Amino acid sequence: MEKNNNKKAITTTMAIALVVALVVGLVLGYLASMLMAPTAPGVTTTVVSTLEKTVTVGAPTVERLIIGVTDKVTDIDPSNAYDFFTWEVLSNTMEGLMKYVPGTTELEYGIARSHTIEENGLVYIFKLKPGLRFADGTPATAEDVVRSIKRVMEINGDPAWLVTDFVEDVVALDSETVKFKLTVPVSYFLALLATPPYFPIHPTYKPKEIDSDQTAGGLGPYRIVKWTRDVELILEANPYYYGGAPKVKQIIVRFFKDATSMRLELEAGRIDIAWRTLLPTDIKDLKAKPNLKTLECPGGFIRYIVINTRIKPFDNKLIRQALAAALNRKAICERVFLGLTEPLYSMVPIGMWSHIDAFKEKYGEHNTDLAKNLLKQAGYSETNKLKIELWYTPTHYGDTEADVALLVKEAWEETGMIEVDIKSAEWTTYVDQSRKGIMGISLFGWYPDYIDPDDYTTAFVNASWLGYAYANAELSKILKDASVLPTVEERTPLYERAQRIWAEDAAIIPMFQGKLVIVSKPNVDGIYLDPTMLLRYWLFFFTG
Amino acid sequence: MVSLKIYVATRALLTIPTIIILLTIVFIVMRILPGDPVTAIVGMKAPPEQIQELKRELGLIDDLGNPIPLYIQYFNYFSGIIKGDFGKSLIWGKRPVIVEILEHFPATIELSIMGFIVSLLIGLISGVYSAHKYSSWIDSTIRVYGIISYALFIPWIGMLFQMLFGVQLKILPVAGRIDPGMEPQQITGLFLLDSIITSNMPSFISSLKHLILPSITLGIVLSGIFTRLTRGAMLEVLSQDFITAAKARGLPNRKILLHALKNAFIPILTMMGLQFALLLTGAILTETTFSWPGIGTFLMERINYRDYTTVQGTVVFFAIIISLVSLIVDLIYAYIDPRIRY
Repeated sequence: MEKNNNKKAITTTMAIALVVALVVGLVLGYLASMLMAPTAPGVTTTVVSTLEKTVTVGAPTVERLIIGVTDKVTDIDPSNAYDFFTWEVLSNTMEGLMKYVPGTTELEYGIARSHTIEENGLVYIFKLKPGLRFADGTPATAEDVVRSIKRVMEINGDPAWLVTDFVEDVVALDSETVKFKLTVPVSYFLALLATPPYFPIHPTYKPKEIDSDQTAGGLGPYRIVKWTRDVELILEANPYYYGGAPKVKQIIVRFFKDATSMRLELEAGRIDIAWRTLLPTDIKDLKAKPNLKTLECPGGFIRYIVINTRIKPFDNKLIRQALAAALNRKAICERVFLGLTEPLYSMVPIGMWSHIDAFKEKYGEHNTDLAKNLLKQAGYSETNKLKIELWYTPTHYGDTEADVALLVKEAWEETGMIEVDIKSAEWTTYVDQSRKGIMGISLFGWYPDYIDPDDYTTAFVNASWLGYAYANAELSKILKDASVLPTVEERTPLYERAQRIWAEDAAIIPMFQGKLVIVSKPNVDGIYLDPTMLLRYWLFFFTG
Repeated sequence: MVSLKIYVATRALLTIPTIIILLTIVFIVMRILPGDPVTAIVGMKAPPEQIQELKRELGLIDDLGNPIPLYIQYFNYFSGIIKGDFGKSLIWGKRPVIVEILEHFPATIELSIMGFIVSLLIGLISGVYSAHKYSSWIDSTIRVYGIISYALFIPWIGMLFQMLFGVQLKILPVAGRIDPGMEPQQITGLFLLDSIITSNMPSFISSLKHLILPSITLGIVLSGIFTRLTRGAMLEVLSQDFITAAKARGLPNRKILLHALKNAFIPILTMMGLQFALLLTGAILTETTFSWPGIGTFLMERINYRDYTTVQGTVVFFAIIISLVSLIVDLIYAYIDPRIRY
């Protein structure tokens, strides 16, 4: 009798388990279909032109706009802030002598109204706009500009080199005039002035030490009214901003721990903009939703392969050229990033003046035959394969990094003459190994410090952080010459030549360039994306 | 009574070596993990001089650039802890670790308490009912629930709730602790409590709404063990003679079940203490899923930055809290069951 009871209980339990599993499966399937499936044929993707110059602002004033990010604000003090999102916040709450025209890489005056260059580019003199005031009404003068820049030099925090490497001295000639004396002429000095280490800050900042949580701000269109680290940042229009009041009075930045919850909050209508960084799969889904608007443009972030020319057999140019020829950039962009990155054939990114597709000109795309020929010339064959170790880090460039390494391996091994052994190391170990120059081939990425071809080239030649992997005397000379010439017209041919030398040497091979993607409610307008990778909150407005 | 005091004293003293062992393990593990905090903090572009300067500042090398031996670093840190100094964070403002912990801990406690209440309510009610309906389809259903809920993965069930109640029905928030700009005046750091104390009803409603999904997610995942434990303990008690006698006397079912639950409560109480540690672990996953600004996500982030002092401080803090809870549970246990203290 008891045995029968047990049997009955087991049967009942199994039946119920089956029913529960079915119900859970159905519910899950339904929810997944609701979330993933395109709900309508209309795709509302807008590609923002990086050449767009006109900034149209119109529409009724709306009190509040909420932006979601998975980034964080680190040190909010410009003397030590050195990450893109913190720079974005600083660019909305402070302003320097120069700034970028939204949607472009062109510079315009910020708090300056004019400038002159003297002594063959060694001296820059700026006149400030009249009547500048900080967000609490305190008047701002040339002395504040000088005090702030000298403070950065004295504190010597992470981004201080953007000042100390170039500026010998800075003085206030009167309350509206600032004079810079440079160590050497620098053609991109105006671009440097648009970075946060040059932003004037409120007098309440601690004079000689990093003031990480200080929210007094500077001369930007917004002021910080509340900041709860990793939770929210509330900005309100600065009533004393020289450029007038922004259309949206209050901006709230919400910090998310992961991209999925940010995406869901956008879909639930609880945030107006989902900014950095949505997952590629989520972006693909969101693009298909008619009640959301997606904007994208090439970003300033690039990825590349470093080949250490000081390690055998990579001192042989033929091998490096073969690797450059065999690389399948399109496969990486399509298969790993679902089209949210673009193949890159130069270290100077797409959209920046002087960019040419130097590697494509020389090697084509995924040119396995050329790679085979080059490898044969270097003495390798199907039976005598080139054996290489390819290094990547799983802890810095996202979950997709292992797939990137795998596709690089796949493309190289397609030649039949290369055998790739993939190795990985945690980020800090990886950087340490790079500095010591012990990795033959490794994957890296680059965020720009300032928007100029110099930042994408000079930093990689004879670089200590890359274990001095690449050196070329002719290239170094060209880059040095280009860095002091005053005009873009004069500099462009030099950078074009530099990119061709780069492709010929193939010691650092560009792979792809990241796209900036932002998804918003359809009624949010005034969003300008460009290679500076900074959102200008003061341009936002609602349409109806 | 004297024996209870001795028990309390012994039990309290035992927590000290536990914390020291834990502290030592964390100290060693953080240092044998690949990667150093300096690179994690300054990134790859930093010049060598800046790296050396930061290492000196962090007490990893001396003024001459020689590495400071690990045992000296350990004793420096340990003597600080004894003085109640958890040290300063290595990153972003280098704030005192204890301040950072106290900023994040209330969020975790609030979530943990609510999750615990949900798990206990579900566990006790379903366990008692399952025992009451022994061998029926209801019993089988609850048993299946006990197994499934125990095996559920928090981010998965959390996302399911987010999609259903947040995106589809739009009745509950998907992430965060409270609506922007609605934080109540900070008194305890527990938003529900603070909004009651300050009579701030909009804050109370907002924080309660934000708590519902994470605490139900956490509660469901942890409730399975209580369901199974309560059912087993209840079945054992319900088969005893005094229950048969109670039934014979015609006591109503509800009273009999309550009476039986009191007797079945000792193993449940023990499990409650053990579950508290699990609750904090579960809270880390729940916090990530729901972007809850608690100590779990804070700890994970600081591990990534190799922020030694903050990680050590947080783990020691966790250890102290768990030891205290465990001590309280043991004391209650000893109080309820006199056999324990002899």
